[in-house]
Amino acid sequence: MLARIANNLFWMGRYIERAEHTARFTNVNYFSSLDAPNKLSRDRQFVLQSIYEMVGEEEENEKALIEQDVLYNAALNPEKHYSILNCITYARENANSSRDLISNDCYETINTFYHSVMNYSKEYFVTRGLHDFTSHIMHQSTILKGKIRSTMLHDEVYALIKLGINIERATQVTRVLQIKYDAAEKVTLSKPKHLKKSYEWTTLLKCVDSFDINRRVYRKAPTQSTVIEFLMLNPNSPRTVLYCLNQIQMHIAMLDPLKVHEKDTALFLIGKMKCEYKYKTVEDIQDDVKEFIAHTFSSLVELSKKLEDEYFYH
Amino acid sequence: MYNYTIKYSCVNTYENPVFESFWQYIVTPQNNSTQELSSGVFSVSNDAVIEKSINGYNFETARIHTKKPFESLTFEAVFKLTKTKDNPLKIDPKYKIEDGYKALKELDFQVDYEAFLNTTELTTLPKEQVSLFDFDTSKSILDNLKRLNNWVHKYIVFKAGETTTETLLETVIEKKKGLSPDFTHLLCAIARVNKIPARYVSGYLHQGDGLLGDSQMCAWVEVLVPNLGWIGLDPVNNLLTDHNYIKVAHGRDYKDCEPLKQLLFSYGEKTSKCVVEVTYEQ
Amino acid sequence: MKPTNFKHLFSSYDGNENLFDEIFDKKQNVRKVYQKLFDIYNDQSIEEFINLNNKAKTSFFNQGITFQVYNEEKAQEKIFPFDLFPRIIDADEWKIIEHGVLQRCRALNAFIWDIYHDKNIIKAGLVPMELISSSANYLRQMDGLDPVGGIYNHISGTDLIKHSDGKYYVLEDNIRCPSGVSYVVYNRNALKRSLFGVFNHYDIHTVTDYSENLLEILESVKPKGVDVPTCVVITPGVYNSAYFEHSYLAKTMGIELVEGRDLVVENDFVYMKTISGLTKVDVIYRRIDDGFLDPLEFKKDSAIGVPGLFAAYKKGNVTLVNAPGTGVADDKAIYTYMPEIIKFYLGEKPILNNVHTYHCSRATDLKFVLENIHNLVVKPVDEAGGYGISIGNRLTKLEIEAVKKVILQNPRKYIAQPIMSLSVHATYIEDCQSFEQRHVDLRTFTLLGQDKEFVLKGGLTRVALKKGNLIVNSSQGGGSKDTWVLKK
Repeated sequence: MLARIANNLFWMGRYIERAEHTARFTNVNYFSSLDAPNKLSRDRQFVLQSIYEMVGEEEENEKALIEQDVLYNAALNPEKHYSILNCITYARENANSSRDLISNDCYETINTFYHSVMNYSKEYFVTRGLHDFTSHIMHQSTILKGKIRSTMLHDEVYALIKLGINIERATQVTRVLQIKYDAAEKVTLSKPKHLKKSYEWTTLLKCVDSFDINRRVYRKAPTQSTVIEFLMLNPNSPRTVLYCLNQIQMHIAMLDPLKVHEKDTALFLIGKMKCEYKYKTVEDIQDDVKEFIAHTFSSLVELSKKLEDEYFYH
Repeated sequence: MYNYTIKYSCVNTYENPVFESFWQYIVTPQNNSTQELSSGVFSVSNDAVIEKSINGYNFETARIHTKKPFESLTFEAVFKLTKTKDNPLKIDPKYKIEDGYKALKELDFQVDYEAFLNTTELTTLPKEQVSLFDFDTSKSILDNLKRLNNWVHKYIVFKAGETTTETLLETVIEKKKGLSPDFTHLLCAIARVNKIPARYVSGYLHQGDGLLGDSQMCAWVEVLVPNLGWIGLDPVNNLLTDHNYIKVAHGRDYKDCEPLKQLLFSYGEKTSKCVVEVTYEQ
Repeated sequence: MKPTNFKHLFSSYDGNENLFDEIFDKKQNVRKVYQKLFDIYNDQSIEEFINLNNKAKTSFFNQGITFQVYNEEKAQEKIFPFDLFPRIIDADEWKIIEHGVLQRCRALNAFIWDIYHDKNIIKAGLVPMELISSSANYLRQMDGLDPVGGIYNHISGTDLIKHSDGKYYVLEDNIRCPSGVSYVVYNRNALKRSLFGVFNHYDIHTVTDYSENLLEILESVKPKGVDVPTCVVITPGVYNSAYFEHSYLAKTMGIELVEGRDLVVENDFVYMKTISGLTKVDVIYRRIDDGFLDPLEFKKDSAIGVPGLFAAYKKGNVTLVNAPGTGVADDKAIYTYMPEIIKFYLGEKPILNNVHTYHCSRATDLKFVLENIHNLVVKPVDEAGGYGISIGNRLTKLEIEAVKKVILQNPRKYIAQPIMSLSVHATYIEDCQSFEQRHVDLRTFTLLGQDKEFVLKGGLTRVALKKGNLIVNSSQGGGSKDTWVLKK
């Protein structure tokens, strides 16, 4: 397969996943903050700021944020590279460049998805459409991923898309964790003891669609340590770092299984990284959660870099 | 017999890193009846690889493709060749002047040499200047071409910095100043208007004997005279070409024989210093 | 007798007697081959038909079978309008077309070979040298080069029209990068899905075998010494208006769709960059124009080409399909010499007619053209896509004067032809919700390879959707129809 196309498939996966996370984060944060128990958690500026953090808005603004602007930027603003609209546009562009490799069904789904986003009314969205739009994105991206899994040959094309999806998901889960950890710290600044049981942990789980699963696993209200253990180290829930690492390893292996014995390869690196997380306990990390989050980020970046050098550029 | 050593070297420096680049040099002397290349050695900095190839007009090229970022690249080529003296022109006294002009009018002749009979952008005379120089058909084609050579030689003053290799004749005629490509384009244009095949030649000039030439590669003309073949004319020095002229390539104009074509992925200022040294031992 | 429910679909069908109607004869009776189809269509209510039509349109849009239009402020994504009423060509008529286009393509191939070798046809005084020298598509780098199998125009698209005399005329030979074949297949698919019932009544040749034949053609011209060739399609990129077709062809041939940046030339061999390193490429079906193929040989600023590609081609290490420089015979001024060209190389009489053409480069023709613009179509010789065409009887006096001025600035650039009356075909018009007469042409696709020839049994029937319009190009608001070639 062409290196450039491999890169495009990889990024197609990443953008589909990114759009979904942005949509869910915006939805959950906005709606759950409306009746949050803590005053700061209910604060509009606080919520809007965290949405900006999630999408990576870099513009420094002294003035108060305007709700409609923030929501529009995150969702439909064609000028913002991080907007959901642009994620879907990039995903479709990447699909366009490789449409000879992906199934017609998949292409058609991504194409109609793109048109539905392009034609979504801005006016409706900023006044009444937040829930409708974000649900639509989550719904469509789930359908799309289902089509990818069920209508395509599970070969290297598939492996590359899945690789993109899982690296992006691991990154987004870690990012949500980071944002919410910071938020929880801020909210409980005056009462640090409350940190462990902050309402932000519930929002956090909802942001990655894992609140119910977490309940089933722990059978009690989420706390700092159960949430971190769950999101980082649980191998069975589909939105955890360890689960993603397992997936990443499996899909890199599909590209070239023989490379596992070579030290300087992505496959070796992911194997090493996965083992580290597999045998880590929450006790190892809870003393310095921030440090561990940073470490996870840099490991994922290193892995992406390795993939680029090894497969995408010659 | 002259044993030539020709050294072409170029240092290119860039303000910002060049990420990827392609270079194609056409600087290798041609093998023909008066010159024989015995060796050509290329070297380039930055571990770049040089590949020899043949371009669309059958001249040798040296191609370089760099994939790692660099800010400076040095290219050097050293050629050794032997040059023999041209045989003096054998003018057949029985071949009449009119026969020459008649030959030019034959369809087969015009078809075979169409590439060098049609004008290009760089060899087009401005409309009002088409009869800048008139042929005297009572004299032979060769005599007329020698006269034309002399006329161009006097018409343009050899001076650097006035024109570029892509300057149109309109400007050259207006300024009456220029370098060997300008002399060559003008001569080619007038010859072609008079139905004589004329081609642009790029090559090296040995300037040791007091000949005037550009600091790097030079240009002169080859014209096709019926019954005599291609004859080299150097309007800069008002001479027929001899052992001092080492041919590299020919074409319809400068664009066909550009010594260097390059594609760069970078931005910002660049400087390029090229030096050509031509020496021979007898 | 017209059926009683005639008013449904053909209620406002206004048959103009002066035009050749593909469906109705002069007496407004349905032609025999169309009878069954006509009956079936007339059985439907207009509502049913509108519903089908909308579904077909949505299906095209969702599948991304779209093209970009540039002449407006920004590029727009549009579907190529598709008409659900197919055009039928019976077996005998098709035989003439097939032999005719094959003959032309063979003759053109021989002509291009000659132009890049001895130029005998010019030396024989049949085609003027100036016509070749002044052609922007004449590539002197091709002089003396022998492409594999002696084939230049592997893929040709021949545009035909049926005149009011009921005979086929060739309008243009497209032998650079003719496009449209993917629409032929998609039109057929769309029609099959929408109106599967009608196919039971007709025995039609398939069109889906195009890709396998194309791949065989590509493989037949593999470089010497290559056993199983690696073939690729090269595209200028996703923003090209024909990108959909490029990806369709790559997909159905099962070969890679590459861009210039995916290829690299090393030691005069061409390689593509894959996830496991470099893979040698042997045959390139290129959908990039000559000038952009290789920035070291042609246009220096081409960002879509491959540096060194031409040198690799010249050395015979890779085959380019179509060969560079075929455009020299694609020039509309060469078109006029086709009868002579066919006679000169094949010793045959042309099977298909040529439209008489006046060359503005010839003084007598120029004079005639300037005096008769109102009765002529004036075309630039080197433009594609229907741009720059003026149709004399549609022009005002002022416009005629403007056209004259333009011609006089560069007579070589223009030819003129009598206004040919393209045949008309019943076409569904959305605005009126009924069928009306619209002008159609037919683009056929011919493949030439080493010891192999193929003409796609079918083609792209293009429809000018604006009433009375004679220009059918998609960039000028044209649509298309499925084209059925009947089995004997």
